[in-house]
Amino acid sequence: MAIKFSNTFLLRKLHQLTGVVPLGAFFFVHMYTNSAAMNGARSFNKHVQDIHDMPYLIFIEVFGIFIPLLFHSIYGVLISAEARANAVNYSYGRNWFYIFQRVTGIFLFFFLLFHILNLRFGLIPGLESFGNPVAGNGGRAFDIVATEFKHIAILIFYIFGVIATAWHLAYGFWLFAVDWGIVIGEKAQKIGLYASIGLAAFLSAVGINAAISFVDPCGLFPASFCEAAEKNKIIEPEAPRKF
Amino acid sequence: MNPANSHHEKKRLENPPKSIKFKIQRREKEGANAYWETFELPYRRNLNVISALMDIRKNPVTVEGKQTTPPVWDMSCLEQVCGICTMVIDGRVRQSCSALIDDILLESGGDTVSLAPMSKFPNIRDLKVDRSQMFEHLKQVHAWIELDGTYDLGPGPAISNETAQERYAYSRCMTCGCCLEACPQYGDDNYIGPQAIAQAKLFNMHPVGKTNTEDRLNGLMGDDGITACGNAQNCVQVCPMSIPLTRAIYETNRDITVNALFGWLKK
Repeated sequence: MAIKFSNTFLLRKLHQLTGVVPLGAFFFVHMYTNSAAMNGARSFNKHVQDIHDMPYLIFIEVFGIFIPLLFHSIYGVLISAEARANAVNYSYGRNWFYIFQRVTGIFLFFFLLFHILNLRFGLIPGLESFGNPVAGNGGRAFDIVATEFKHIAILIFYIFGVIATAWHLAYGFWLFAVDWGIVIGEKAQKIGLYASIGLAAFLSAVGINAAISFVDPCGLFPASFCEAAEKNKIIEPEAPRKF
Repeated sequence: MNPANSHHEKKRLENPPKSIKFKIQRREKEGANAYWETFELPYRRNLNVISALMDIRKNPVTVEGKQTTPPVWDMSCLEQVCGICTMVIDGRVRQSCSALIDDILLESGGDTVSLAPMSKFPNIRDLKVDRSQMFEHLKQVHAWIELDGTYDLGPGPAISNETAQERYAYSRCMTCGCCLEACPQYGDDNYIGPQAIAQAKLFNMHPVGKTNTEDRLNGLMGDDGITACGNAQNCVQVCPMSIPLTRAIYETNRDITVNALFGWLKK
């Protein structure tokens, strides 16, 4: 069969693929790193430093995150602009989810713009991280974030950001599976949807707990839950090396 | 379970209003401005939207006492198989012949029924729309079977019962336009919509029709083809013939995606 693929087809499929593979995978890694904050500054800083020590880091960052993210967010806003929302008259669950996906997407466009300028580049004037971002400052990463999160508005903004991302990603997995013709049947789609809702709840909980860990040790868990890790620490805090 | 217990009496309108108001969207001709007029009819049991419109047509005087033109609408079969009387009733698209006033009032709890033409098609006058774009879409996806030839092809191959059943479901489409009206992605010709996709499926499943599968998929692959589906799945909810429209969309998506991913490996 010789089918001619239109540009729209390729762009849409690429949009769905970039959401799942580089960006979705990155979000899992990001939440894992953030969760290290439960065990305190040393643990979190070590994880940040491990990322800094990755080989080919700049290529991973540019081709694995920045370019897919730029494409996914700009094309996503264009897709959202096409929507003729009608869930008031056609109030079905999946019609509401269709709207949520676009609303969370547009919210995330602004949230991620802030988040990346704030903590990756340190370019938000008036905040302590200005000129002093997490990237390149692995040893002080925890303190930089913790100082930022002392502003309750910023902490709440980040919590909304992580919930929106969790939902957008988890429902995005469902959309991907459905739209690529992987999950076709009615029953399979229903089970898949429940799994997506579960995943969204799980990722939100992990993300919120990690964010709160920057202001309150061990986050929402009792401190004893994290103490074991602290007790088992092997690496001593780095002393300045002298030669 | 005792069958006597499992039987549920259909809910009926217990306290009907004395009169019913009909808020109707009017338009003199294509391109003219739309406006609303309200008419009032005494309540009577078992009215449907069409019989109410026929009553209004007999004496087109609005609630303000203004003499006006009789409202125009399309109708034909009056038993929900031709699809032509489709309109937006209380904000939701459906056939006006099978829209019973009692049920509508029971659902809204009020005494007013609003009637508007479908918004995704050119509005010719009042409640009448031009649905010929759906016919164009059928042409775009080659929704027919090539049978004419220079010699008798003989009887076609046998079809399994399962295939026949599945094809029957798609064959029920009456091209009414409900799926397109309720679709949040459809409009401005950037998406072909579920109706044509399901018909492409119907003819691709036919043993003779499948020889033109490529034509049909090519018709769906353009910038205005299947790709802009947003998975809101309103189509399958509003379809009056219960056609598995989303199944048609996703199975076609699977065919196309597999082809996109692996087709080039065959070259």
